[in-house]
Parts: sequence; C-alpha cells; structure tokens
Amino acid sequence: MSTVVSASTPSPVAKVSAKPDIGAIVKFVAVLIIALVVISPLFLLFVASLKPDRFQILADMGSFRAFWVSEPSLQNFADIATFSGALPFGRYLLNSLIILFCTVLGGVFLNSMAAFVLAWGRLPGRAVVLTGLIGLYIVPQESIVLPLLSLVNKAGLGDSFAAQILPWMASPLYIFLIYQFFIQVPRDIYDAATVDGASPFRIYWSVFLPLSLPVLATVAILLGIETWNQYLWPLMVTQTDYARPISVGIASFFGHDSVYWNSAMAASVMMMVPVLIFYLAFQKWFVSSFISSAVKG
Amino acid sequence: MSKYLGKRLLTLLGAASALSVTVGAGLSGAQAAELKVMFQGDPYEITIITDVAKRFEAANPGTTVQLINTPHDAYNEKIGAAVSAGSLPDILQLDAPFLANYVWSGFLQPVGDLLDKALVDDMTASNVAQGTYPIDKALYAIGLTDSTVALYGSRKQLEELKIRIPTSVDDAWTRDEFEAALKTLSTAPGVKWPLDLFRSYGTKTEWITYAYEPILVSMGCDVIDRTSWKATGTLDGKACVDATTEMQNWVKQGWVVPQSAGQNQFYAEGRPAALAWGGHWFYAEANAKMGDDVVVMPLPKFGEKGVSPNGTWIWSVAKTASDPAAAGKFLSFMLQDPAYREAYKAHAGFPGLKSFAAASPLYADKGAMAVAFEQAGKSAVARPPHPAYPTITLAFQNAMTNIFDGADPQAELSKAAKKIDDDILDNDGYQPFGQPE
Repeated sequence: MSTVVSASTPSPVAKVSAKPDIGAIVKFVAVLIIALVVISPLFLLFVASLKPDRFQILADMGSFRAFWVSEPSLQNFADIATFSGALPFGRYLLNSLIILFCTVLGGVFLNSMAAFVLAWGRLPGRAVVLTGLIGLYIVPQESIVLPLLSLVNKAGLGDSFAAQILPWMASPLYIFLIYQFFIQVPRDIYDAATVDGASPFRIYWSVFLPLSLPVLATVAILLGIETWNQYLWPLMVTQTDYARPISVGIASFFGHDSVYWNSAMAASVMMMVPVLIFYLAFQKWFVSSFISSAVKG
Repeated sequence: MSKYLGKRLLTLLGAASALSVTVGAGLSGAQAAELKVMFQGDPYEITIITDVAKRFEAANPGTTVQLINTPHDAYNEKIGAAVSAGSLPDILQLDAPFLANYVWSGFLQPVGDLLDKALVDDMTASNVAQGTYPIDKALYAIGLTDSTVALYGSRKQLEELKIRIPTSVDDAWTRDEFEAALKTLSTAPGVKWPLDLFRSYGTKTEWITYAYEPILVSMGCDVIDRTSWKATGTLDGKACVDATTEMQNWVKQGWVVPQSAGQNQFYAEGRPAALAWGGHWFYAEANAKMGDDVVVMPLPKFGEKGVSPNGTWIWSVAKTASDPAAAGKFLSFMLQDPAYREAYKAHAGFPGLKSFAAASPLYADKGAMAVAFEQAGKSAVARPPHPAYPTITLAFQNAMTNIFDGADPQAELSKAAKKIDDDILDNDGYQPFGQPE
C-alpha cells in the first residue's frame, strides 16, 4: 500500500527537486546582482586603501586588478592617522565623532522637548507654529548657508565645534516626527501622571521619553547620518584643523595637479568604518527608522 | 497646567540653547591670528606651507600666521563665502585666470612694492603675465611655480613607427604632421586611441579652457577678442568654427580617449592611448610606470606658431589686509625658503622663477621636461585676463563638451559667445575694460 502511494503521490521534497522554483532563482540572481553592484565599490575602496602606490591604483583602474592587491599594506592608514601635522586624520575623525555625538544627543533632547510642548502645551497660536514648522522643512540648507555663516561669525563662533553643532540640532522634520508620535499617546496617561503630582518635565522625562524610544531611535539615526555626511557647512565654517571633520579633510587629497587616491581611499575607509559598525550593530533600528520616516515624514 | 507646562519647557529649551552657545563659545578656535593666509594645495604643499609659517613666526617674533587650508575643489566657493561674510584673509592664493575678476571686484592690492625686489626680478615672463592686471599693468600676484601642457609619447613606439620626435618648440609638429601621426598610431598594434586629451577631467576643472584654448589660438582665433573684449565674431568666427570642427573630427574618427575611460590610458596595461596631451604634472605619473620610455614633446604648431597654456595657483594680498607690509614680508620669506623650493622641486613643480628653474634638473637643458619649460618662454599665452573670465571659461567648457559629443560647432560657439557678451553687457562692459586706452 505504502509503495503504491509513494509511487503515485511524490513527497514534497521530490516535487521540489523535480520542478525548480524559477521565480525564487530569478529573485536570488537579482538580489545577488544588486548586492554585487552595491558591494563592489566598497570592496574596491577597501582594496585600493591597501595599495600604497597611488600611480598603481590609477593604472589598475578599469581592469579587474582594481579588485586585487598583491602586497597589502597598512602604510596609507599609518601615514594619515595622526593627530598633528598637515592633515591629521586621527584628529578629523575624532572631531567628526564629537560633532556627531553632541548633535545627536542635543538634537534628540531639543527636538523631543519642542515636540512635547507642541503636542501637550497650551501655546497661543500652536497651530500656526506647527504649520510654520512644517513650512520650514522645505527650505534647503544651501539657501541659508551664507546668512547663517554671517550670523555664526558675528556670534564669534567661527571655526568652532559649536558652529557645526548648534545650527543643526533642531530640525522641523524631527520635531514633527516626534510630535506625531506624542499626540498618539492617550490623554489618560498624561492625566494620570499629573494626578500623581508629576511636573511637566517629569512627565516628559519619565513617561513620554521611555514610551518614545522607537521614534527617538529613528531621529537619532537620521540625524546621525545627516551630521556624519555634512560637507558644505563644515567646509564654509572651519578655517583650521581645530574642528574640521573628516568629510572636509578627505577633500584635501584632491589637489589641483594630482589626486592622492591612496590616501583618499584610506581616509574614506576610516570615515566608513564607524558607520558600518554602527549599522551592523543597529541594523534592525536602521530599517525601521527608514520605514517610519518614509511613512510619516 | 498645560500653560504652565508650555512656559516651563520653553524656558528650559531657551536655557539649553543658551548653555550650548556658552559651551560652544568655549570650544571656539583660537582668534588671535594677525596674518591670515588662505590657500589650497596637495598634501605636500600643505605640509611645507605649515612648516614655512612656523619658521616665519620664529624669525618674526610677535607676528602670528593663521593658515586657512581649503580643499581645492571648493576653493572659489569659500572665497565667495568669505567675501559675503566680510572676512577675506590677508593673503590669499588664487587660480591665475581669476585674478582679473578679483582685482576688478576690488579684493586685491598690487604686490610689486610689498615683495623683495630681487624676487620680482626673478619672475619668468610667463609668471609676470599670470600675475599682472591688464588695466594698470601692475603686479597683483606671484608664485614660485607656473604650469604648461605638453605632448607625451612612448619613444620606443614612435621610433618603431618612424614618427619624428620633435625636440624643441621651433621643431614642433605641424598640423599635418600631428594628424598624420594620429592616423599612423590609430592603426598601430595595441593602440585603442591615438590621443588622450584628458576629457575625463570634465567641466568641474579648468582643464578644457586651459588645455584646448591654445589649439584655437594656434589656429588663429581665441575665445574672446582681447582688444574689444567681445566674443561674438571671434569665438564663433570661421577660424574657431574650423578649429573646433577639426577637434570634433578627431573624436569622430575614434582617435580620442572618451571621457568615461579615466585618466590612466596612456600608461595602463597595454598602453591603450599612444599620445597624451597632459599637464606638466602628468610626467611624474607616466614616468613612474613607463620610466625613460616617456618622451616629452612640444604642443604642435597648428598655424604659424605653437601655443601653450600657462597659469597656476599664485599668491596675492587682499586690499583689506591688516598689515600689507607684513603680508609681503611673509610671501617673500616663503618663496625664498630653501625647504619650500625643495618640496616643489621634488614634486616636479614647473618653474615660475628663473632661479628655481636653474635649480630644477628636470626642466634644465637636457632635462626630461626641458622642452616643456622652453614653451613657457616661447609659446605661453595666458587665458583671457578679464573680469568675465568665470563666465568665459564656463561657456567655452560647455560648448567644447557639446561639440565633442557631436553638436554643431557653429551653433555651440555662437551660443557660448552670446553668453559671454551678455555677461559683459550685464556688467556694463566691466569698465574700464573695452574702453579706448
């Protein structure tokens, strides 16, 4: 009996091996190609950073040798990872991390406080403030760079960390994102905290912030990426190596006569590694933050 | 309650901002600089200029030099921002063809009397030309170096194909010889493209105007009439249309390395490009891969005479400089500093001072680049020294890019000429330019 059944009704395993899922294969190949397209420039960057001879990097471009290093060396990194000298990339990296940390921390704090006031405070003209805030979001950064530069210089903040942190901590987008989250919190929670005698700051700090971790993570990640990739503003506002971030430092390898590809590649890897580590550690948060910002922003 | 909440939190927000400003001010960089020097450069230049500034401070107690090192690609934007913010430095480096624009705009002051006389007397004619404003004929900028473009080839390949190798400017290939060489090379084994014009530099750099305008001038035209300062009738005249049509023809025949192929085709494996129309800096790259096989030749004589470009990044003093004498002293100190000269010599810096040329074996008689230096004295023509230069170069670059991509040369040059003339008209002729002397 069992023999008859197995002969006339093949097992699911036998069915799969007999008829391959073409759709799955196509999907796999498509994903593989996309992955290769995304990864290959990063791989090339990493390989080139291990070639100390900038002329060799140029000579290899355009062939598969660009993806191979026969004598890998960390010389490029050793040359640039310094804290003093002409192009101290150790310092630039540290500067970038300081700017990132302060901007994200301050940004999450300020934006969430502003959102809390807008969501739960009884401000005169709150709707107007909110509308104005959303309107501000469409103003591109490039259009305010010069007046902002003038302001910063007049305030005596030129060539400082503060000039790179303060203007970008508060953002209409992030205030609005958090505001949207806050207004969905049931009024009963707010009232219960008030009845218990909690002050407004206590309610914000002990009740709303813990409830808002997903949206705060979204804001932290988006603000972090934005801050890390800043180029135009730090270029305009920094004069010396004192507060110059790594994004501006890398541009120094693109000279008027030559491009120092070996150093530029090593510096780019230095700039990329913290982001990669951060991304791998918080991959889940990254994905959800992009989804939520796409839906709500 | 809610009202109370709003006020308290707004107060807190204000306090946080005030605290941030206070902390920020504390983090602010040093402000005590007396001599601000804005410059750009390759990493070795940044290193040596930093060292020279330290030496100058040690030799001149009480004078402080603050270096403002700016990435090359964003230099002009940074100058624009500094002008808008009213914070021009005391000394600023600038790209030579932009000098007329800066002087006309009132940013710079003459430096002839601020510099050591021996230094001014030591400048090559080409160096003087790149730093001189044509209206008052005064010197506004100086540099240790200058630049040029030469034709590079493989000695072995040219000799095998029995193509004559010119050895001096007077001996340069004629138009017919040049085109015959391209034709011969186009059928030579292994040659994919006979000529690399470095189209890959694109329009983000000055390359197109810098390297291709000499071809037009050699063929009897220019991007603008240098007396009337009008482009219409010159840039879109018959001579320029013929010249650019011929250049377009090189591309159509498949003789020119395409923009997408990068900058390494002359010395990459298999040497796909036979000749390279490259800047003096290209010699180091080619020599590193090809050794002594690299031969440096003068640019061809397309018409009566050969024409080569000049101009590089030079040093000037801002009109608003707090202490012009100190600025001149710093520039004199730097340009005569032995280590500063040695650094440029080690990087094949193209001499802009006679004494520097004498000490640079690469450019001296029998040196590998001797013929390139010979060009500076015999065939160098500066790009148009006019305040409209930023518009001139942009219009010409776009026109040449479109022409190389197959557009009609007459239409493109007419469009560019109109754009240039419109800009000049919009600025009332950039007077006193275009006025009878």
